[in-house]
Amino acid sequence: MDRAEIVHANFLRRVADEDLPPVGQLSLSDAELTPEALAEIFHAQVLSRQLDRISRKLQARGEGFYTIGSSGHEGNAAIAAALRVTDPAFLHYRDAAFQIARSRQLPGQTPLWDMLLSFTTSSDDPISGGRHKVLGSKALSIPPQTSTIASHLPKAVGAAYSIGLAKHCQPEHRTYSDDAIVLCSFGDASLNHSTAQGAINTAGWTAYQGVPLPLLFVCEDNGIGISVKTPGGWVEANLKNRPGLAYVACNGLDVVETYAAVRSCQAWMRRHKKPVALHMRCVRLYGHAGADAQQAYMAKDEIEAAEANDPLLHTAARLISEQIFTPSDIIDAYTKTGERVARAAEDAITRPKLRTAEAVMASIVPPKRPCSSPAEAEKSKRSEIFGTSDMRLMAEPQHMAKLINLTLTDLMRDHQEIVLAGEDVGCKGGVYGVTQKLQQRFGARRVIDTLLDEQSILGLAIGLGQNGFVPMPEIQFLAYLHNAEDQIRGEAATLSFFSNGQFTNPMVMRIAGLGYQKGFGGHFHNDNSLAVLRDIPGIVIACPSRGDDAALMLRECVRLAREEQRVVAFIEPIALYMTRDLYTDGDNQWACVYPTPGNEKITLGSVGVRGKGTDLAIVSYANGYYRSLQAQKILLDEYGIDARVVDLRWLAPLPEKALLDVTDPCQEVLVVDECRSTGSQSEELVTLFAEKRSRIAARYTAEDSFIPTGPSYASTLPSCEGIVAAVLRVANAHKVNVIA
Amino acid sequence: MKKRSALIVAPGRGTYNKDELGYLRRYHPHQRGMFDRFDEQRVAKGQTTLKDLDGADRFSLATMTRGDNASALIYACAYADFTSISEAFEIVAVSGNSMGWYIALACAGALSADDGFRLVNTMGTLMQESLIGGQMIYPFVDEEWRPIPGKREALLAMTRTIPGLELSIDLGGMIVFGGDEEALEAAEHALEPVGGRFPMRLANHAAFHTRMQNPVAERGRRELSLALFDQPAIPLVDGRGHAWFPKATDVEALYKYTLGHQVVEPYNFSASVKNAVREFAPDVIIVLGPGTTLGGSVAQSLIQIDWRGLSSKQAFIDRQAEDPLVLSMGMPAQRMVVTPNQ
Repeated sequence: MDRAEIVHANFLRRVADEDLPPVGQLSLSDAELTPEALAEIFHAQVLSRQLDRISRKLQARGEGFYTIGSSGHEGNAAIAAALRVTDPAFLHYRDAAFQIARSRQLPGQTPLWDMLLSFTTSSDDPISGGRHKVLGSKALSIPPQTSTIASHLPKAVGAAYSIGLAKHCQPEHRTYSDDAIVLCSFGDASLNHSTAQGAINTAGWTAYQGVPLPLLFVCEDNGIGISVKTPGGWVEANLKNRPGLAYVACNGLDVVETYAAVRSCQAWMRRHKKPVALHMRCVRLYGHAGADAQQAYMAKDEIEAAEANDPLLHTAARLISEQIFTPSDIIDAYTKTGERVARAAEDAITRPKLRTAEAVMASIVPPKRPCSSPAEAEKSKRSEIFGTSDMRLMAEPQHMAKLINLTLTDLMRDHQEIVLAGEDVGCKGGVYGVTQKLQQRFGARRVIDTLLDEQSILGLAIGLGQNGFVPMPEIQFLAYLHNAEDQIRGEAATLSFFSNGQFTNPMVMRIAGLGYQKGFGGHFHNDNSLAVLRDIPGIVIACPSRGDDAALMLRECVRLAREEQRVVAFIEPIALYMTRDLYTDGDNQWACVYPTPGNEKITLGSVGVRGKGTDLAIVSYANGYYRSLQAQKILLDEYGIDARVVDLRWLAPLPEKALLDVTDPCQEVLVVDECRSTGSQSEELVTLFAEKRSRIAARYTAEDSFIPTGPSYASTLPSCEGIVAAVLRVANAHKVNVIA
Repeated sequence: MKKRSALIVAPGRGTYNKDELGYLRRYHPHQRGMFDRFDEQRVAKGQTTLKDLDGADRFSLATMTRGDNASALIYACAYADFTSISEAFEIVAVSGNSMGWYIALACAGALSADDGFRLVNTMGTLMQESLIGGQMIYPFVDEEWRPIPGKREALLAMTRTIPGLELSIDLGGMIVFGGDEEALEAAEHALEPVGGRFPMRLANHAAFHTRMQNPVAERGRRELSLALFDQPAIPLVDGRGHAWFPKATDVEALYKYTLGHQVVEPYNFSASVKNAVREFAPDVIIVLGPGTTLGGSVAQSLIQIDWRGLSSKQAFIDRQAEDPLVLSMGMPAQRMVVTPNQ
């Protein structure tokens, strides 16, 4: 017999027989819980349970698509009851009872209907629009979470940090109140994930320094992760005595005790703005999900022991002992709720589903939002912020690192909601000085020296973005992105998709990367693969090659994040940071005057072009573009080949139209890509020309190698000579006029 | 036989008209005892009895639609209708429109029948005594009861541009405005006439569910005590679409809502119907008498959410002809389904 039905039958029998577990010691009055509030918690628990039961039945009928349930964890309804509906909640996937209980605090909610629409993936589903079964609600401050283990913890830390910061910066699109606390729940197995450990460490590291962090971690400990048991006492041993983090334990089977624990925690946290780890013990009923046969890895008596501790029986026992409900009242409420759920399910399955790719994809790109224009800062104030030295430098040609620094200054001056965060970005001003003076100019709150953990840096950005900030996290070197990529791939980029555009986490992630640093750093400081970003739906990848472009593109990136709520990656080619010359030493042709904020713009979708030649178009970006320009001169001077060179600028989405427009008049196309042959932009570009123009574009790329250090640092990368040779190969093959 | 689940919808003001005269006598002769108790309250206040009002030879618009009389008559009719619903129905939730909220409270057991009457009669009397402002109604749906795109938003925008004009009730396909005379006149002037009836002023109605009623709400709280209220025995869905569950209701919050928010903030009847059907999925919706108009507002609310394939007025008419979803007790034929033995 299905364990869900056994648990169901046990509940009805044991309540009828009054064969109930002992009631906890804490009285309702000590917990400051009214009888009505207890009954309300029970209703939420029962509704959650009946939804679990129907989800299995709907799946069996082919009408439902999700069966990971909340049964055994329904004590979290008491957590919701003790918090405010405005406290952002990053929930464990077993927290349906939490969401139901919270929905009861905001008049006009339809928790049963909403969850049924989610189980049945109807496009009416108010959170995901039928894209996925997720818990979540805009009105209830519950952003949807993915099922990637513990990946929501870093952003919860960021969200909690944003509360204190917002008090000072007051971002226009702020969503959390000053006295909010952030809740983040997860299972005992998830606690072991490095992402969880990193986030918990970051929370402690932050609070240890006295920085406000009102964050309630809730570890819902059911003792097992799918089939692997959590060692006895492990959660307590793991969470207790962590620096900066208070530990509180409660019995999640006893909602009175749980309510009291959270009530007391939240009051303390609102006052002291410190994080707490709440360890809520509970049980898991029916196995991990519908398809999981727990008898394969658990003894029958273990399964039955968990079932005997059904949290609903514990709450029923309390309601009966307090004379709030009689046993028949309990059975009546449980049965009527079951009937209500079953009836509503028949209606829910008739609701429309998403049917086309277009409909599914409609929320990948977030909606635009109105933003007020930055107040026109007085000229004197701008000079005051920049200082005389930088004001003077502005009028003279500068390298890219300086121009990005000046741009960041103007952007941060215009937009209070911009926050920089990363390793060494503050005091030191960045490894390459790109963020120099910014902490002095805008304070340590807005230019944050983070700890060494990229997941935490990106989590911070995601959390800040959800509270109206425009974060600009910095990843010090491209290679360091890889251990944190899921924060972008699985989290930031998916939020709009899973919330039907209701929740967003705009950001401009600055990443220093790509190769050609002369003899410095090797692979880990010269990584030349952007493949980790390129296939993520919805994100924008910008990659400037010159300082003035970088300034204009960075402004466009901030506009895209601020007004269009996009997740943007801004790739800064390290080797070009300090480059001033293009053709010959001292020609200063790669240095530029700072473009004063104003009408000049580089918009998403545009490309840069040098030259009007039609013999051939060289399509490239960053260092490749720089080298292609050098090659362009040689090709004209020495071979009479008049080429134009195109700077892609935007690697995703690819500026297809602009690119095709500028390459159409050319006889041939050569793609020069400094990233690896496999997985680089060149693959997409060659495909584009083939598909859209039936043209075979040649390509010249980096080798499929890691980057060495020392004299051979550029040996695997495209060179100017290599580009010339590649063009000549193309020209000879296709009879382009060569005069040499 | 399995009972049919039913959502109850109690009517608001304006539902006891000429055709309803004699309703209590006609449909509820056996409830005489209860009506006499109600009349004791009326007599104590020096008011005309229900017996005399309902038993009058002819309908007097001036008398019968006055707040102090209409409220009492409608409550008596609706509550008596509620008690006469056949055992074949299982009542899964109770809601109401506007004053119907007071009736719903009594039907759900949050107030006794007599205290429900006390509440209605007191608030009706206070409204009549104060008669602050008035109500005007205007549709935002087409002839098929489908929302005209942008129309509702345009109507609501008037509450921001015309001083003193407020949203009073979201009533299916209609907006009921509340406001002072000047505001209502300005709105009427701005609105294009529709169907020869709209914009329609509601005679003898005050600006219910607007901030203008704050003094009435305050007097109501002074005259009616929290002690009258109790836990509902049946789930109640209020004018925000919020459900109050048995034993889980904070009775003080229910009291405050009833004599606070509900009186001075817009009443969203449409949300009440939509949320009730979604959360309780009843087989049928029983609209208590008197009157025959509220069924249309219920249907319009359902059309807005495409409930069970109801996409238009015609679809609703077809469904009603085949297997009625809405049973209006004010309509004799449908009443027969609800109270076959009466």
